[in-house]
Amino acid sequence: MPVVLVIWMVVWPIISAIVRTIWRPDASGAYGFNLDTYIFFFTDRYSLDNLSLTLWTTGICAILLLVICLPIALYLRFSAGRLPAYVQGLAIFPMFVPSIILSYAFIRVLGPNGMVDLILNAAGLPKIRTPYLTPWGPVIGLVWDNIPLTVLILLAGLGAVTNQSVEAARDVGAGPIRVFWDIILPRLGNSILVALSFTVLGLFSAFTLPYVLGPAAPEMMGPFMQRTFRDLYDPLNATTQAVIAFGFCLVFGLFYVRSVAKNRTP
Amino acid sequence: MKRRDFMIAAGTAAGALMIPRIAFGAEGVIDWYTSSDQNVMDFWTNVVKPKFEAANPGITINLVDGGDNAGLQAIAERALAAMQTKSDPQADFFEGFDARQPVGAIDAGLWTDISAAGLSNYSRINPLALDIPQNMPYRGSQVLLAYDTTKLDPANAPKTWADLIAWIKANPGQFIYNRPNKGGSGGNFVRRAIYEANGNDPTKFQVDNFTAEAGEAALTPAWDILKDLAPSLFDGGAYTSGNTQSIQLLGQSAVTMIPAWSDQALSAIAQGVLPETTGLVQLSDLGFPGGFTRLTIPTNATNHALSLKLADFVLSEEIQSAVLTELGGFPGVSWDYVSPELRERFKDVIPASIPVFPGGDWEKAINDGWYRTVAPNVDPNA
Repeated sequence: MPVVLVIWMVVWPIISAIVRTIWRPDASGAYGFNLDTYIFFFTDRYSLDNLSLTLWTTGICAILLLVICLPIALYLRFSAGRLPAYVQGLAIFPMFVPSIILSYAFIRVLGPNGMVDLILNAAGLPKIRTPYLTPWGPVIGLVWDNIPLTVLILLAGLGAVTNQSVEAARDVGAGPIRVFWDIILPRLGNSILVALSFTVLGLFSAFTLPYVLGPAAPEMMGPFMQRTFRDLYDPLNATTQAVIAFGFCLVFGLFYVRSVAKNRTP
Repeated sequence: MKRRDFMIAAGTAAGALMIPRIAFGAEGVIDWYTSSDQNVMDFWTNVVKPKFEAANPGITINLVDGGDNAGLQAIAERALAAMQTKSDPQADFFEGFDARQPVGAIDAGLWTDISAAGLSNYSRINPLALDIPQNMPYRGSQVLLAYDTTKLDPANAPKTWADLIAWIKANPGQFIYNRPNKGGSGGNFVRRAIYEANGNDPTKFQVDNFTAEAGEAALTPAWDILKDLAPSLFDGGAYTSGNTQSIQLLGQSAVTMIPAWSDQALSAIAQGVLPETTGLVQLSDLGFPGGFTRLTIPTNATNHALSLKLADFVLSEEIQSAVLTELGGFPGVSWDYVSPELRERFKDVIPASIPVFPGGDWEKAINDGWYRTVAPNVDPNA
């Protein structure tokens, strides 16, 4: 049953999208192999700018997520008591906030004359240069939104690191950095890869946050596809954009599949 | 209660809740869907529905809020699929929709050509509002300027396009409009610039006179006006992604002036989203364009004849006057068909003409051209 569902709702639409963009009627109505929309995309400055902004946002978000979530996950793994429970609750919290609510809250807090500006002003400091409507708006929003998933995956990976191994390393005089680098990181590599491929897949198709918080142009692929489809009444080019986005996601998907496969083999 | 019993009970309850949803469209019950906001839903609930039902005993309107355009599109797609399988679409009437959606629906014959449906009031419709015959306009509203009177004295508020441009340039960072495809306030600001670049003559733009060359000739000078304006906008050329976000920025005092829909600005002031000190002004050389909200009726509707009757009813003087008085919108019919005292009462508030920019290919060209030409002025790394 799940296999049928996957074929019906995932595999079939992909094949149909690819086929419909490369095998379609020309002006005279005869069906034939046609790569025009792809050539247009890859020669069109505007489309390429959108693609590179998406890649840039995805890359920056992935790095920031790792930098933020790894320390949180390490802290949660190696400490006990009440405080870590609160920290964990706080780290998981963004999962329960719909992104549209997050977007408007973001405008209220980090937007022009928002809460941050009011606090800075009260302290006699100058206003911030607001990230709202710049590429950094979606970056901040997306990082916040993706923290729970990344923390959870990393935390699961850290479960593979036994307390004994860490204690053994400490007994022979290893410092915290040495323990992290030689004991924890080798066991965690796989989880980091999984976490990254998961978040990258989510970031690539992000819509609400880039749409509400990002600049008008260049736009990320999500809003770009939606606009091409709905406002330009151009399903063909929208499908082409989707296939191209899918191609990039496929690469990260393969990373994930490979790492799962590697784990299975003893 | 055991877990298993609970699951069964919960499942039964959930199933019972779903029954009305899978019921077939009933004779005499018009299944009506809207993409509009709550104020429009209230208008239909409190004004149109009781009046129509009183005039047509035994007929009821089932008012359903479809959420937004995407919600109605899903229902329209269901109607299109039902047409192919010759089953019941369970939808009779769409308020605030565009028959161009879903793609291919017109060719498939999903939407009724209302101009040929023999409505007695059809000839009353304001000719400027007509789009394609499958879309029936019935109410409109217009964009105007909303500004902060604590920062700008109403006496100095711009009254012409030239004044507005001069004001924006003299006050850099104090004006923002939204992306033209993400809400009509920015969309019609852009269209006003297009009029300005083409001798302020709205008759030059018709739904059927778009060609690639005409588009190029008419739009390029307008893009130049807007590009020239960009550095003086908020944040050196930022554009909000919707009407609401513009109002939010004005409410946060981040900007001094925005273009806004008349009805949306009035309700924002009434709800306190915008302060009492918000001023509204319309340009007097040529007003900002307005837009009309349209109805569509699927040809395979169970209550097709009744839906047409309702569409005709909505164009009557009674409802069209209520659009003005109850909804704060503009009538979809020509002004001659609104009661004389209302015409008198609103004559100062409403300009003699609402420029209406056509949709269709012009809209496509504007949406694409603006994004490619005007928007990239924003330096992504700034």
